[in-house]
Amino acid sequence: MLIRENKIDPRTKLTAVILISSLAVLIKDIALLLGIFSITFIIALGFGNNPLALFKKLKKLALLFMAIIIIQSSFSSGIPLLRIGSITLLTIDGFTKGILLAIRMCIIIISATIISTSSPREIVQGLIQWKIPYEIAFMVSIGIRFLPLFVDEIKDTVNAIQLRGIELDKIPIGKRMKIYSYVLMPVVATTLMKSKRLSIAMESKGFGIYPRRSSFKRLKLSKVDYLLMAAFLVGAFTIVTVYLG
Amino acid sequence: MKYTIEVKDLCFRYYSKEEDTLQGINLKVEKGEVLTIVGLSGNGKSTLCHCISGIFNHLDKGSLRGEILLNGRSLKDLSRVDIIKQIGIVFQDPDTQLFSPTVEDEIAFGPENLCLETDVITYRIDDALRVVGMEEFRFSNPNHLSGGQKQLIALASVLSLEPEIFIFDEAMSQVDKAGKLLIKNKIKALKKQGKAIIMIEHDLSNLDISDRVMVLREGKLFDFNGSLS
Repeated sequence: MLIRENKIDPRTKLTAVILISSLAVLIKDIALLLGIFSITFIIALGFGNNPLALFKKLKKLALLFMAIIIIQSSFSSGIPLLRIGSITLLTIDGFTKGILLAIRMCIIIISATIISTSSPREIVQGLIQWKIPYEIAFMVSIGIRFLPLFVDEIKDTVNAIQLRGIELDKIPIGKRMKIYSYVLMPVVATTLMKSKRLSIAMESKGFGIYPRRSSFKRLKLSKVDYLLMAAFLVGAFTIVTVYLG
Repeated sequence: MKYTIEVKDLCFRYYSKEEDTLQGINLKVEKGEVLTIVGLSGNGKSTLCHCISGIFNHLDKGSLRGEILLNGRSLKDLSRVDIIKQIGIVFQDPDTQLFSPTVEDEIAFGPENLCLETDVITYRIDDALRVVGMEEFRFSNPNHLSGGQKQLIALASVLSLEPEIFIFDEAMSQVDKAGKLLIKNKIKALKKQGKAIIMIEHDLSNLDISDRVMVLREGKLFDFNGSLS
């Protein structure tokens, strides 16, 4: 059976994500990084991502980005940009580094959303057909599958604490952090128990019994996929050439 | 007479414990028979079912003495492939049994591990879905189903391995009344097909479909006389 739910093969999307993320890490020029960010955004939209959802994701991280810029500035020497008395709060060099890091993170987050337009099963199948060992491919898929369960587990434990009469919103941040540390132990214990049960269930169905496994679904690259992959490679090569030249 | 499952003087001790969790268990299950093992929590019910299904042989969690025979052949002489082809287990918690993005993928998981051909896998998916009556949910996400439906998919994923022996390890404990009825009906159908079935239960209201009931108490197996203690 061929997978035809999505028009674009997940391997094409994975190629795009790998190239974009590598460029984001490699390039240290703000103008080029902004260009890569714009291209990434357009590619993400092209693969069917919702632009509003993308902006919401970045908006949520705005505070984090601000913090990164300030921290980078504080630990970097150079020409001062903002001073209070003899203390330098911001330097041009630090500010630039902070901005670079924030753009880099935006690019990586947006590029990761490209792959989310494929189902986990398609991604696993793509990785297997790329000759990635199926144990590793499944590890990725199960990680994605169990993340919401892990979040639910944390919420349940926090609810249990609140049901004992602790109003988390009304206590100082220091004490709140201490209470959150109590959440860690039961969450980790439950997660370990669940992962043990999961591994037994998988083993009982023969997971890992042979070095290889068959797949009743097969992915097939179309002409569009080959064209897109070629375009991504040429694009990445051009950006690197411009950067190094 | 050759029994589908025969357990002879089975003892099991976890490496982390000083006493045997199972102490001299003897039991026999024939083709087309439903044996239910009841008992309070911590009396070794799940340990017994893990021993019979060969999970502990593979995971090496403790020391196992005695003998377990499947159709006359010792579990020790069987490969993991042979055991998986013969025994299917449905566990208690549906959420840790279902890990695929669609029902279809979930059911295909076992046959894919056995390296079956695409046509055979497709046939087994169709057949398992028909048996549990969940054809319309083929492309659904298992996370979006009710507890009873999830357990039916867990059962379908075991059915696709076409085992002769089924073990239900408290499979109805997290299921509502309607879900219990659905699962019980499927167990009755499996019994009619000649499958040997072991049900591990702590809820005495689920005993109505059993041919025989035994109680596991402090690691020992007794005939059930209506009381767990």
